[in-house]
Amino acid sequence: KPTSGRKRRRRRESKKERKKDEGRGSRNAQHAVDSGERTEKERQRKRRKDREEKAEHVQSLDKSKVNSRDFEGEGEDEEVEEEEEEVEKEVRPETLTPEELEKLKEAVDDKKKLIQALRGKPWPMKKKHSTLRESQEFLEKYEGALGKGKGRKLYAYKVMMNKKWMKFKRDFENFTTACIPWEMKIKEIESHFGSSVASYFIFLRWMYGINMILFGLTFGLVMVPEALMGRPYGSMPRKTVPRAEETNAMDFAVLWDFGGYAQYSVLFYGYYNSQRAIGWLKFRMPLSYFLVGVGTVAYSYMVVIRKMARNANETGGGDENSFNFSWKTFTSWDYLIGNPETADNKFASITTSFKEAILEEQESRKDDNIHLTRFLRVLANFLVLCCLAGSGYLIYFVVRRSQKFALEGFENHTWWERNEVNMVMSLLGMFCPMLFDVISALENYHPRVALQWQLGRIFALFLGNLYTFIIALMDEINLKRKEEDVVQFNMTMWEASLHNNTADNSTAPPLFTHPADVPRGPCWETMVGQEFVRLIISDTMTTYITLLIGDFLRAVLVRFLNYCWCWDLEAGFPSYSEFDVSGNVLGLIFNQGMIWMGAFYAPCLPALNVLRLHVSMYLQCWAVMCCNVPQERVFKASGSNNFYMAMLLVILFLSTLPAIYTIVTIPPSFDCGPFSGKARMFDVIQETLESDFPAWISKVFSYAANPGLVLPFMLLMVLAIYYLQSTSKSYKEANVELKKKLQMPLPPPVVAMPTKERPPGTQPGTRGKVNHPGCRESRARRDGDEDVRVCEREDLCSESNMRRHAGNLGWLTSGQNI
Amino acid sequence: MSSFPPLCFHGCCASPPLFRMVSPAIALAFLPLLLTLLIRYRFYFVLFYRAVLLRVWRDCRTGLSREERCFQYVLTNATPGDPESILDGFDSWCTKKEFISHIGPKKGKILDRLLSEHSPLTVLELGAHCGYSTVRIARALPLGARLFSVEMDQKNAAIAEKVIRLAGFDEVELIVCPSDEVIPRLRADFDLEKLDFVFMDHWKKCYLPDLQMLEGSGLLGKGSMILADNVLFPGAPNFLRYIRRCGLYEWRVHRATLEYSKGIRDGMAELVYQGTK
Repeated sequence: KPTSGRKRRRRRESKKERKKDEGRGSRNAQHAVDSGERTEKERQRKRRKDREEKAEHVQSLDKSKVNSRDFEGEGEDEEVEEEEEEVEKEVRPETLTPEELEKLKEAVDDKKKLIQALRGKPWPMKKKHSTLRESQEFLEKYEGALGKGKGRKLYAYKVMMNKKWMKFKRDFENFTTACIPWEMKIKEIESHFGSSVASYFIFLRWMYGINMILFGLTFGLVMVPEALMGRPYGSMPRKTVPRAEETNAMDFAVLWDFGGYAQYSVLFYGYYNSQRAIGWLKFRMPLSYFLVGVGTVAYSYMVVIRKMARNANETGGGDENSFNFSWKTFTSWDYLIGNPETADNKFASITTSFKEAILEEQESRKDDNIHLTRFLRVLANFLVLCCLAGSGYLIYFVVRRSQKFALEGFENHTWWERNEVNMVMSLLGMFCPMLFDVISALENYHPRVALQWQLGRIFALFLGNLYTFIIALMDEINLKRKEEDVVQFNMTMWEASLHNNTADNSTAPPLFTHPADVPRGPCWETMVGQEFVRLIISDTMTTYITLLIGDFLRAVLVRFLNYCWCWDLEAGFPSYSEFDVSGNVLGLIFNQGMIWMGAFYAPCLPALNVLRLHVSMYLQCWAVMCCNVPQERVFKASGSNNFYMAMLLVILFLSTLPAIYTIVTIPPSFDCGPFSGKARMFDVIQETLESDFPAWISKVFSYAANPGLVLPFMLLMVLAIYYLQSTSKSYKEANVELKKKLQMPLPPPVVAMPTKERPPGTQPGTRGKVNHPGCRESRARRDGDEDVRVCEREDLCSESNMRRHAGNLGWLTSGQNI
Repeated sequence: MSSFPPLCFHGCCASPPLFRMVSPAIALAFLPLLLTLLIRYRFYFVLFYRAVLLRVWRDCRTGLSREERCFQYVLTNATPGDPESILDGFDSWCTKKEFISHIGPKKGKILDRLLSEHSPLTVLELGAHCGYSTVRIARALPLGARLFSVEMDQKNAAIAEKVIRLAGFDEVELIVCPSDEVIPRLRADFDLEKLDFVFMDHWKKCYLPDLQMLEGSGLLGKGSMILADNVLFPGAPNFLRYIRRCGLYEWRVHRATLEYSKGIRDGMAELVYQGTK
């Protein structure tokens, strides 16, 4: 390094000079002592010398300052550091005269101000750049001088640490973004398909997070303890496959149906033992089972409501209507992008956001015949209601018929008739949304509103299906319970006969019956769990198969048959499919509802759901990017959609209802599950209170359960809710007021444009042109390869749109003087 | 509805096993799909009815071809020598009576605009059919311009000839020959130097070979414009793919709907030859 060599030389020189000075000073003193007589000349000389000394001091100080700045630049160089210390000892900033210090301070302040005000200066860009660089260098050089002695070193250290800290923060931010699961995938999809499709994937990711927690709870507190510490398989009847099923309990068909060995495992309710404490940990299994069941539901309620509240906060902020297009034009590009793929994505996302904004603008300007629109909307709703009623009747009819078949015995009927209910339900669930979609074209809503209507309608349809299923299940439960009574009676007889046998020949050893041979009850809880697991599996399969056939196969056919077809398949009739946001969101929500309903009776459900969500995240991301086209009218939707959350909350409520109903009203089976032998499942709480806690706690609880205490408490809670709600409302109003006040006195916003000297609105030549460097570049690149799939469809139509839009922009920018 | 399924249930038991397999309730579940398809593709069904079923029926009944019927209607309803009224006659026949895939009034306006903007002197039309587009082009041409119209079919050409003469455009040259035979001979037979404007509305499969033939013949110069109708429906995907890739043209697609139909989307491709790069 040539500079460091020079530095050292300079330093050595300054040391020599200083030594000389000291020598001179001592000689002077000697003179004064020895001769005692001072001539005029000598005095003059001395004054001159003093002046020289001072000048030298200043010089050396400057040099040391340079050194210290350099040292900050290369903090690792130890040699330099040592030398620096030497210099520090010798040079004191106090030697600077106060005036010089003042001047220096002033200059530094000036430069600082200049840097801050540089943006607003009416200079050409080149001059701005050079001034900025110069003043920054000056600052680097002299800012350190303002600290004192030790302070300077500290300052240098601080600056270094600051730089490192900034770098670390940036890296850490990058790292955290990389850690958010599927963030890049979702961003990519959002950039090509718009925020509505992305909102589905964000929702999916959020659901995945919730299910991970649910899975952790059930797996860690229920399944693993039972598997590790509970009694092993085959030790008792409920943990053994019965003799009659043993021969084909390991067949794939049986396992796929979650029968056989899968049924008699930790996956289902029936396997769990009612032993109060298991293992050396004395783990309270039944209590844990009950609390986990309650806890998952409570946790879900909490999360959903908290998320809703947070979303409500987010949506309140920001004025999104004024200067919309200008903001988009001048501030969308991210100058930190360094990766060509990301740049492509960004370009696509800017285009998409423009399309969304144009759509909003069009919608806001639309005015039609209001009476006709109203009539059509009423008509559409009427048609949809008819359709819903028809499908409801069909399901009702099919369920009735299947009950008739069940009475006659299923063996006499064909496979179609046996699976009629499932088939009809899934077919209706598949086709009715399509019909709704077609009907909703009548209504002429904004696509966002249309999506919500569509969601609501499909929600009603699915809800009908779900509740039909639950009612059928309830009938089944009642049947099983009747069967249980019979079995219980038989069992007492069987035991009695066993005792009789042993009593007869008392000399023989006590008879041992293998647990597989013991007669047992039907265990309706396991049956319910099995039904839900089967439903989830078949639902997942249907989703994936529809995806593969409906999207992938269709895309392949359209793509490759197009070479030899008589009309244009891509632009014309079958075309590529669009991503069905409403159907997918509702599929997700109802799936989650079934998990909430069934998780109590089948602890494996959250695990299955996590698996399913994980797979569908990858599969759907791939399918969207590979075989779907963006919607014709891309519209804006907030990434965290409260409408989805509201539906999720409703479903959560509706799905906990039947679960709670069964838990509270139906007594558990007598010979399976953690609550066997109890009158009700929640008795486990009372039992724990009595036997595991000291007596006074149970006393306190019994007092707390007294209506005299509960009622005032509830009253208090209602009052608190009312108070909080009213305060939040007033805060909201205050916020709006403040926002208005903030907006009023502000001058029109100045948009920083690093590459242009003047805003385009004020320049006559560039009116309404999109003069965005990054934009133009990537536009050119896009034009170069027309094969990029996203462009495929849009290149046909977007030009005229863009042109019109450019005119729009020109008007906006010139009119509002940005 | 309540009486229907059991009735069918008994019927199903008697019918062949294939039919017995599917229960009526499952069949009913397909009703929404059927309705959806019917509503979504209603324009295509209407088009199919008007362009195919009605045509076959009328052909059988009258013994005349579709084009002849159309010409008769125009002859009775339009003023000779007035291209405007002749075009109106065609339009009203096509909207009210039957369907012939002319360029139609809406896309015709785009054609008119392009012609008036460029005022070409030599125009080639591929696929004259009944002469609707020929009249439309000839009407918009400047004085002294030459229009060559190519039609493959003899009968259609005869009708087109009559229509063109009826409109009073005598200078139009009608060539009765397949387009792939005409194009290589154009330069020699009609001593053409350069084509300013080419309008394609013949077989959609011939768009691409004819375009390549035009490029090969050297009749296209810088700035020559080619307008191809019906590139989206029935559609000429190969043609679009080619112009997208070859880089010889500056091109765009005018989006519109199919002639005489509201819901079917169609487009016209406008190409401007830029020469080899």
